[in-house]
Amino acid sequence: MNDTKLAWMILFLPLLSAAAIALFTQKFRRLSIGISIASVVATFLMSVACFFQFHGVNVADSTVEWISIDSLSFEIGVHIDSLSLLMLLVVTGIGSLIHIYSSVYMKEDRAVSRYFASLSLFMFSMLGIVLSTNFLQMFIFWELVGVSSYLLIGFWYEREAAADACKKAFITNRIGDFGFLLGIIIIWSITQTLSFTKLQDLLHTSPWLLGGMATLSGVCIFGGAMGKSAQFPLHVWLPDAMEGPTPVSALIHAATMVAAGVYMLCRVFFIFTPDALHFIAYIGAITALLAALIAVQQNDIKRILAYSTLSQLGYMVMAVGVAAPGAAMFHLVTHAFFKAMLFLGAGSVIHALHHEQDIWKMGGLKEKMPVTFWTFLAGTMALCGVPFFSGFYSKDAILAAAWDNGWLFGIGIIAAVLTTFYMFRLVFVAFYGEARSESSDHAHESPKAMTVPLMILLVPSVIGGYIGISQMLAHFFVPHGGETGHEGSVFDPLAPFGHAPMAALLGFLAVLVGVAAAYTLYYKADEDPIPFKMRMLARMMRNRFYFDEIYAVFINYTHEGLAKFADFVDRWVIGGAVHQAHGSTESAGRALRIVQTGSLQTYTFLFAAGLAVVLYLVLIH
Amino acid sequence: MSLLTYILGLPFLGALLVLMIPGNFKFIIRSVAQLVTAIPVLLAVWMFYNFNSAPGVEFKYDQMVSWIPSLGISYHVGVDGINLGLVLMATVVAFAAVCVSNEIKVREKEYYFLLLIMIGGIFGAFCCLDVFFLYFFHELALIPTFIMIGVWGRGMNRNYATFQITIYLTIGALIALFGLIAVYLQIPVGSRTFDLMGMTNYFRAHPIALNSQHFIFPLLLFGFGILVSLWPFHTWAPLGYGSAPTATAMLHAGVLKKFGLYMLLRIALPFLPDAAQSWLDIIAVLCLGNIVYCGFVAMRQKDLNLLIGNSSVAHMGFVFLGFASLSLIGVTGALIVMVAHGFLAALTFALSGYIYKQTDTLDMKEMGGLLRKLPFIGCAMIMAMMAGCGLPGFANFAGESLVLFGAYSNFPVMTAIAIWGALVIGAIYMLRGVRNVLHGPLSEKWNGVVDASSAWRRVPYILLIGFLLVFGFCPSLLTEKIKPSAQAVLNMAQRPVQPLLKKAPKHLPIRVK
Repeated sequence: MNDTKLAWMILFLPLLSAAAIALFTQKFRRLSIGISIASVVATFLMSVACFFQFHGVNVADSTVEWISIDSLSFEIGVHIDSLSLLMLLVVTGIGSLIHIYSSVYMKEDRAVSRYFASLSLFMFSMLGIVLSTNFLQMFIFWELVGVSSYLLIGFWYEREAAADACKKAFITNRIGDFGFLLGIIIIWSITQTLSFTKLQDLLHTSPWLLGGMATLSGVCIFGGAMGKSAQFPLHVWLPDAMEGPTPVSALIHAATMVAAGVYMLCRVFFIFTPDALHFIAYIGAITALLAALIAVQQNDIKRILAYSTLSQLGYMVMAVGVAAPGAAMFHLVTHAFFKAMLFLGAGSVIHALHHEQDIWKMGGLKEKMPVTFWTFLAGTMALCGVPFFSGFYSKDAILAAAWDNGWLFGIGIIAAVLTTFYMFRLVFVAFYGEARSESSDHAHESPKAMTVPLMILLVPSVIGGYIGISQMLAHFFVPHGGETGHEGSVFDPLAPFGHAPMAALLGFLAVLVGVAAAYTLYYKADEDPIPFKMRMLARMMRNRFYFDEIYAVFINYTHEGLAKFADFVDRWVIGGAVHQAHGSTESAGRALRIVQTGSLQTYTFLFAAGLAVVLYLVLIH
Repeated sequence: MSLLTYILGLPFLGALLVLMIPGNFKFIIRSVAQLVTAIPVLLAVWMFYNFNSAPGVEFKYDQMVSWIPSLGISYHVGVDGINLGLVLMATVVAFAAVCVSNEIKVREKEYYFLLLIMIGGIFGAFCCLDVFFLYFFHELALIPTFIMIGVWGRGMNRNYATFQITIYLTIGALIALFGLIAVYLQIPVGSRTFDLMGMTNYFRAHPIALNSQHFIFPLLLFGFGILVSLWPFHTWAPLGYGSAPTATAMLHAGVLKKFGLYMLLRIALPFLPDAAQSWLDIIAVLCLGNIVYCGFVAMRQKDLNLLIGNSSVAHMGFVFLGFASLSLIGVTGALIVMVAHGFLAALTFALSGYIYKQTDTLDMKEMGGLLRKLPFIGCAMIMAMMAGCGLPGFANFAGESLVLFGAYSNFPVMTAIAIWGALVIGAIYMLRGVRNVLHGPLSEKWNGVVDASSAWRRVPYILLIGFLLVFGFCPSLLTEKIKPSAQAVLNMAQRPVQPLLKKAPKHLPIRVK
């Protein structure tokens, strides 16, 4: 019953696949694709088996020692509980679909083997995070996820934009990881353990163990999530990460990796103090609002979706901050389904339009790409939180949890209005009206391997709200003092209205307002009316509130400034001193050479003169 | 005869053979060099595999031949956990260095002779357990270094670099020599010995007086510190490595530079514990000079070799931080960093040497998009850069994280800054290197660049990456062997400060009645 062999196999199969492709099958494109897809589908099947094996069992743990010195013990292991099981299913399930989708989308690419090797490496790293038993293991896989994301964003490294984007993503993440590692070391130095279960027990028996470091360490740990889940102010990398291939954006930069931060927060929820949670909640809320505002004025289909991802991640982080990790995980799961579907839909559009991403060059795609359109519309409705779609239930759970804090709730509602507005703007502009360019005029529906994953994802995106996802975690967070998602019978589509009627009603109202606004402005519109009406604000939104520019200036005066200073010192001060030492030795040599002429007369003269001076000093003076 | 005598003797035998082969038999000269460095790799791997750190005998595979008994000098070789990994690393790097030496096309006979002498000296410096021979072999390896940079080096700054590295390293070695002689003189006439084991036993029983310790420790710290490019005595390193022929840079940056650290751990910390403890704070500050300051300098470099050189200086900071922590975790981590950095520095210099041979420049502004032309070399380069910024899976991560965990309780603020240096600054300069050299559009002028395509050409890179990965995935291979020996050093170094000597007021003469 508690046998964890299966979990170990789930963890290492993708690594095996990555290694096999990288080492042996680089030249055999179809074989590489086959190995990668087989490994991910196998992990999915094993995850399902694992789910039934451990269903009802509370916790199963298995670790091996990696390094052990003194009181420090680094371990690698697998940890199975309802949280990791749920995440396992999401990651491998969506991962399988996206691998299959990629096999068509990336078929023509020169380096398809490299692509699938990187994807397999990503799966390994992500599963490592999901199954982590301790902080250090999580950090290790955290870094590996970062590097696989780096490789995939920079997949088309010959493009300047992609090469810059992958570098930016990695470094921004590293800033967050700085906090993460520091937090881990602080916690270890006090508790002498890194294991989640041991820490939880320790903090359960002596809640004040961390003392004055409790809030600081919590905020440091949250730093890791801020990097990976792209929270303000480290959010700048995610939109640029859209330079990677679209399936990668769907899998890594929408459904799974960026959610790792939220997953981590839920996993270690017990270490956060109320102050730390407060900080987390506000960071999440700011991100949700800011990203939604920026999304309103973006024209690139992938960037709109990227900013909506940011905004939804903000929601999840806010949920953790208001002590509702259950709601955060619920939204993470539903979001993973519908956002992966939306991205794959966007990929299908981009594929059909020969890599056109500007929504104002689309239009009229509704009839030409029916499957893509209907699934995209369903995804949009789920994302906006239209009742009976999955997003409604999870978003409502978050809003209900934020009800007690007026500010957070207000921001949540405003962000919901904006979300509906920009998503329906996207739908109206891209799919309705007349075709605005040659390529959109000749668009065709994508092949089966691309539409079938869309249709499969449609199912959980719609019904995800009432198949028991929140119930699966209902009891998980109780002992930690966190609020749970709503309990009750599994199939109850109207539950939110009974559970927190005001929140649900206001959320529903937000959808109506957003759709109505989008309909008036954009239905059959030929150009964007907003820049003419609100010039200043629109320009700021379009330029992403100038974050990149502000950071560039800031970094130039701080980090780069220090670097310039250090380089200057190295070159001129230390180097100069060495030069001086060299120079003075040499000039001393030159000076002494004058004396040493080799002429006997001079020597005798100098000798006599010296003797005269000495005699003068001694005898007469 | 000990295995170590074979390891250390083979390169010298090879050098002798090279002398006897006529200079135009280039292939034979190369083969001899390759052979006498390949066998030590096998021997060292076998030794590493069979090494057991069970307590009892302190040094394994040891052999002692008395040479000048009146001065206490003897030929004594042996390994314990501290130098076992270093010896293995040294043999592998030496082999790889000979592999990449095919770039040398002039005066090959002289080149291989000097290279083998340098390699023999390096092996000796890490195998010997007699301070006299340790110092002798180190100097023996240094002299070819200078000559090789001067004769086979590259670039405009070659003469200046040769000049600077020679002066710096000679001064460093000289100061350290003063320190070593001062330590030696602490033992009364009659029982004087240069043997490490003899010295250890003596000083364990008779600690050195406090004022002598305070006099000697800075000599050793700064003397050996200069050899390791301790900030602010580091400027010779990037410049020297930038101008050195590939194999020399690999051997010096990878292996020979570790000698200073090795001696600090073998001699300064255990024999001068009280002085060491009072210097720890200063070491911790200086190591930030390496990690942060040199990291910043690396960020601004436009030449790939200067970037790598500065990053290699920056990595030395972690070793110093580990020593400063004076904890088992930190010191073990520092030793792993030493081994890992040896492989890594050799790998990066080998790669940059390959690229230089193809492009005739290392100016990063000129390059770009080379990954397209160099899939294998480029991939190895990305792996090396990632290892350099502490990616898990490579041995560097294991070492650096241990150092950081070990140092936090004594130096929380310094450790926090060091983490910033490791994670953020490291990532910035390493990724800038990748971005400028490998990523981006490919320029027309690099159409002639070719990748290392034959399996034989790839051997050195694969070997070095392989060892980084093996120790990265299973760092316990190293830690389990290092732990007991590091503990033995720390038992001496952590000894509580001698209370009587410390408290004694210095201005009052002690009256004995």
